[in-house]
Amino acid sequence: MCQGQHTARRAFLADMGMGFTGLALGAMLHDETQANDTTWAPPDGRPHFTPKAKNVIWLFMNGGVSHVESFDPKPMLTKYAGKTISETPFASTQDPKKLAIERLVVPDANGNQRNKLFPLQVGFRKHGESGIEISDWFPHTARHVDKLAIVRSMWTTDSNHGAQTQFHSGRHQNDGDFPNLGAWVHYGLGSLNDNLPQFISIGTREYWNKKDGHYLGPAHDAVPLRIDPKNPLDFGNPETPFQAKAQETGFELIEKLNRLRSIEYPHDPAMAARVASYELAYRMQRSVPEVVDFSNESAETKSLYGLDNPQCRDFGMQLLAARRLVERGVRFIQIQHGGGGAGAWDAHSALKANHSQLAKAVDQPVGALLEDLNRRGLLNETLVIFASEFGRTPGTQGADGRDHHIFGFSVWMAGGGIKGGIAHGATDEIGFHASENRHYVTDIHATILHQMGLDSRKLEIPGRKRLEIDHGTPIQAILA
Amino acid sequence: MICMSLQETSAAVDYLTEIKPILKSRCYACHGSLMQKAGLRLDTVSLMHKGSDNGDVLKGNPSLLMERINEANVADRMPPEGEGVTLTSSEKNRIAEWIAGGAISPIDEKPEPSPKDHWAFRPIVKPAIPKVNQTNWVQNPIDSFILHQLESKGLTPAPKADALALLRRLNIDLIGLPPSINEIQSVFSQHNPNWYATTSARLLKDPRHGERWARHWMDIWRYSDWWGLGAELRNSQKQIWHWRDWIVESLNRDKPYDSMVRLMLAADEIDPEDLGSLRASGYLARNYFLFNRNQWLDETVEHVSKAFLGLTINCAKCHDHKFDPIKQTDYYSMRAVFEPYLVRNDVVPGTLDTKQDGISRAYDAYLNEPTYRFIRGQENSPDKRVVIPPDVPAFLTGSGLIVKPIALPTPAWHPEIRPHVRLSNLKQKQMLVESAKAELFQAQNAWKLASDDEQQRKQLASKSSISNPDQKASSTTTEKLLARNLAEKTLRAAEEEWASVRLRAAADLSSARSASEESSQELVKISVWAERQASVSRADAELARCELELFRGDKPQKPELQKKFESAKSLAEQAKAKLAEPPGKHTSLVGAEHVPTKFKSSTAFDPIPTFPSQSSGRRTALAEWITSPNHPLTARVAVNHIWARHMGKPLVPSLFDFGRKGQLPSHPKLLDWLAAEFVENGWSMKHIHRLIVESSAYQMQSSLLNASEKNLEIDADNKNFWRREPIRIESQVVRDSILKLSETLDPTMGGPPIESSLQTNSNRRSLYFFHSNNDRNLFLTTFDEAMVKDCYQREQSIVPQQALALSNSRLVHDSAPRIAQEIANKMAPETNEAKFVNLAFIYTLGIVPSRDETLASIKAMESWKKLVDQKPDSEKIARTNLIWALLNHNDFVTLR
Repeated sequence: MCQGQHTARRAFLADMGMGFTGLALGAMLHDETQANDTTWAPPDGRPHFTPKAKNVIWLFMNGGVSHVESFDPKPMLTKYAGKTISETPFASTQDPKKLAIERLVVPDANGNQRNKLFPLQVGFRKHGESGIEISDWFPHTARHVDKLAIVRSMWTTDSNHGAQTQFHSGRHQNDGDFPNLGAWVHYGLGSLNDNLPQFISIGTREYWNKKDGHYLGPAHDAVPLRIDPKNPLDFGNPETPFQAKAQETGFELIEKLNRLRSIEYPHDPAMAARVASYELAYRMQRSVPEVVDFSNESAETKSLYGLDNPQCRDFGMQLLAARRLVERGVRFIQIQHGGGGAGAWDAHSALKANHSQLAKAVDQPVGALLEDLNRRGLLNETLVIFASEFGRTPGTQGADGRDHHIFGFSVWMAGGGIKGGIAHGATDEIGFHASENRHYVTDIHATILHQMGLDSRKLEIPGRKRLEIDHGTPIQAILA
Repeated sequence: MICMSLQETSAAVDYLTEIKPILKSRCYACHGSLMQKAGLRLDTVSLMHKGSDNGDVLKGNPSLLMERINEANVADRMPPEGEGVTLTSSEKNRIAEWIAGGAISPIDEKPEPSPKDHWAFRPIVKPAIPKVNQTNWVQNPIDSFILHQLESKGLTPAPKADALALLRRLNIDLIGLPPSINEIQSVFSQHNPNWYATTSARLLKDPRHGERWARHWMDIWRYSDWWGLGAELRNSQKQIWHWRDWIVESLNRDKPYDSMVRLMLAADEIDPEDLGSLRASGYLARNYFLFNRNQWLDETVEHVSKAFLGLTINCAKCHDHKFDPIKQTDYYSMRAVFEPYLVRNDVVPGTLDTKQDGISRAYDAYLNEPTYRFIRGQENSPDKRVVIPPDVPAFLTGSGLIVKPIALPTPAWHPEIRPHVRLSNLKQKQMLVESAKAELFQAQNAWKLASDDEQQRKQLASKSSISNPDQKASSTTTEKLLARNLAEKTLRAAEEEWASVRLRAAADLSSARSASEESSQELVKISVWAERQASVSRADAELARCELELFRGDKPQKPELQKKFESAKSLAEQAKAKLAEPPGKHTSLVGAEHVPTKFKSSTAFDPIPTFPSQSSGRRTALAEWITSPNHPLTARVAVNHIWARHMGKPLVPSLFDFGRKGQLPSHPKLLDWLAAEFVENGWSMKHIHRLIVESSAYQMQSSLLNASEKNLEIDADNKNFWRREPIRIESQVVRDSILKLSETLDPTMGGPPIESSLQTNSNRRSLYFFHSNNDRNLFLTTFDEAMVKDCYQREQSIVPQQALALSNSRLVHDSAPRIAQEIANKMAPETNEAKFVNLAFIYTLGIVPSRDETLASIKAMESWKKLVDQKPDSEKIARTNLIWALLNHNDFVTLR
């Protein structure tokens, strides 16, 4: 955090009290934090109220998943296929007043209304006891429909891929950069495991802002993790050969010298924190490779995640790593799927080929993750979110694509005290506007923070007044 | 009896602890000393009785106050919607009970002081230097102020730090690098009692001082290299680094702070002819944002106010300021100062356009652009009834802005007539002429040789009566002839282009001065003709090239080459035909290029403005106002920043907020004395640096080892500066120090930033590494790199990634053996390990190791030696590993 609202010392304390330096350290310094007489204090790593969930797995599909071909069936699109919207009974969807929420940024050739309705490119089937319809491209996810709360009434305002940033920060790209959800969780809550970073990012993140912490500071940026036991973490291994035994002797010496120096500089909290940070780093260096080493996973588990299936192997490994991170107490795991350009899901043309292939890459691992978390008893305290920056237009783009669509789209959540087997909110009959129980992206943030026991207003920093819409409102209807 | 019961109820509610805090946090902003909406103040009970335009607000049942608090209509409810958190029902009940109990309050209740009496808004008056008891501690007035406060609180200053610690402190603080072994040795071998003064004076003159302190100011002034999407520029400017170099140079020359601020805000108006000064204007060019003008100007207003004035004017974007006497319109008045400006790049000597290089600078392009207040701060609801004029909150100095439009010298708005533009263009053409001449010389010789050769063969053939003359020789001669022809034409074209540049430059100059004069028009005519003539010659040369290639080509290539030849021929004819057309306008040389924007539509660039002959003068007026010697904020804010970086923490903790919501200075008189001293000494920053580093306050120990119980009891947080505040050194200092210790730091100053891909192998100072919102060096980021969006104070975090970076990075691994070698080089050959350890601690940490530290180090070195077989290697590796461990020591990243 780069600001002068508090002394450097307090800034340092703020950092020590949370994040992956751990609760122990936070507690150690807690008294000093309390001793300051200003009314504002940084979070002490404890939730504001009893949490329902401990961990978050945030699955983000880059590019924009078609809501009408995944979780929000719209048979009217097939019925009126080829008709312009104005020729159908749904002409009012294009009322300019309803379109006014859009804030265009860099619209390219894509940034226009698509008028001619495009038929559904996939079939839908009812699943589970709830009988909620899910498209045939997501059969593995569909098996768990009774665990999902599908929110079918999302909206956002950036009609280009800056919406990826918007989905994470709640702010339109043109407003500047603001901390992402994961950074807020990291800022607000203490560690569950001192040996691992508490906010991890996996997968490609090309288009949207590569940083998370922004004014909370780079200490709250996600730590990138690679699924490679040999090189999982930046500076996670010696960059030139360094004999392990020699390094160990070195770490022992560093600790000893720091402690000896404490005789000259007694009661120095920075010295204590430095010693602790070396202990953590030393443990982290050993713990992180183990997380992405799957040799102890059973053949059945590997197969469940599709590690034996080239089509979904990469995403399968990422989600298996996510489960292992949750088991080890990592707070927030952010996984991005679909690199290249503005995101792989950005099906301006050949939507059928694009989405059916990408669904094969993600669906089996997602189903596996839900099943695996559930059978290990982890799902009730782990929130899983499946999201994308926006949906896709009911109208066709070119011959066989759909364009960006911000007025109505779907997100689902599962686990962590979320009610299963419900479809909340709705779009109109052609999937154009969120028409019932509309939710801006920050309502998802608010729901997650609520389940984590955090009140975003209590996390606010002096001089960084947030808008009402930044905070959002928890979606009560999907809470168990 | 009734009276009694009321008394009893009221006894339960305490006004001062229960009621007043609620009113203060929810109501005072509009009903206190800052503002009196509806004529009402709620900051004392007697003022409540005095009431609003509707009378006593405590009277009646329910009282007016309760009615408004309980109002169902949210627009009329207090506090109204959007103006703060509503009162909870228990809060409402307590207020009601208190009123019912007779609204009891202390008799001597004082109203809130007037916001204009706030300490930071009052003029700076140089305070008298206070008397102290321990006079021998006082080096200069700073010490008197510090000591006076310590003595008045019963605190004693910490002892002076040892010389080694002080030497490291001075070096890191003033030049951002640790001392060399030679410097350490010379201080300790010479026994010079004045070493401290000599060293600090020398370091303040060292050019690396400018690099060190530039980075501090770059944090505050939001330096950032450009960023965007791929190659598309969206933020800042590609050549913004000229501004960085200007900061470094200005600090080294001790350019006055007020002058720096004036140039950063208005160099284009104050010194429009000097490209060197115009670099300062990068301060504004950095705020460029391709898509959104509002975002751009919001950032400009916010950070001009915060950085130079310590004011949060940005809080008044949507509504009147809740704490300071700043109206919402004041925000837009400040915006109006910047409304006309856009960014252009000026061509620098030696280049022809701004893609290669250029000075990014502000200029007033939209002279008539109106500024409107946005209702509730929303950009889609401007209040178009009133155009907001440029102005400033006048209460601060007693005067508002006096704006006078500024007529610009011709070269500022006709940059193509700058002599260097003409010279660079001529020089480039001259070089083409020279190389064409050399080519022609060669072609001439080649042709002559070939033709002589052919002649000889012919003669030989005729003499020996060989019937078949050499076909090949004849062909070679023809080829050389064509090549000579090409070279001749190329030279001619180059010469004519050179001549055309001369004429175009003359036409530019003449048109810029008076376009309508006959002589100007004549020059334009000639220049157009020369340009066309040069085109004809260029086309002729191209035709000659095609002819040569056609001749040279193999049979299969011929048809293609023939086509090219025909097309060149027709182009040459077209060029000739153009000669007969009526003359239009000549092509001007390029002196500057506007940086286009996409405010209106994100698919197309906005229309490109022509450079106006005058500037609004608004930014000059603002700059004059900000730097006027009687401004209560500017000097205070600046010296607070300087103090913070020398001393580890500021005098006013809220560095960018000196308003009523900010924190109070720990030493108000010292702050004012420094501010006054600063202004009196021509805003010399080096004067303030010198005063601070020469003070006893600066030279104290940071350790608590010898701290008195009393000091710890009274002021454990060191609010009164009774000891030195340790500093976790900044990211750049961490990396630069490692390179400096290994004596591999590249001392090159200035120039374009080092791109990410080249950083691993670069030993330049970290200041020169590419650094933007999207692109930051990983190692530096680990140690709390400056955030480019705003950074008034560096974070000093301690996180495990720092341990990973220091223990695992190639930077440290590569440097450790070099540092070990550097130490070995400075030791006598027969020295033992204990001496190596001793010097290693001194050199890397500025510490003489204790016996235990030495023993622990030697023990580890012995373990390391055992891991290696060969003797000379084992010693080297053990020493290298020790250095590696010391670079990971807490005190390596700490300035004690």
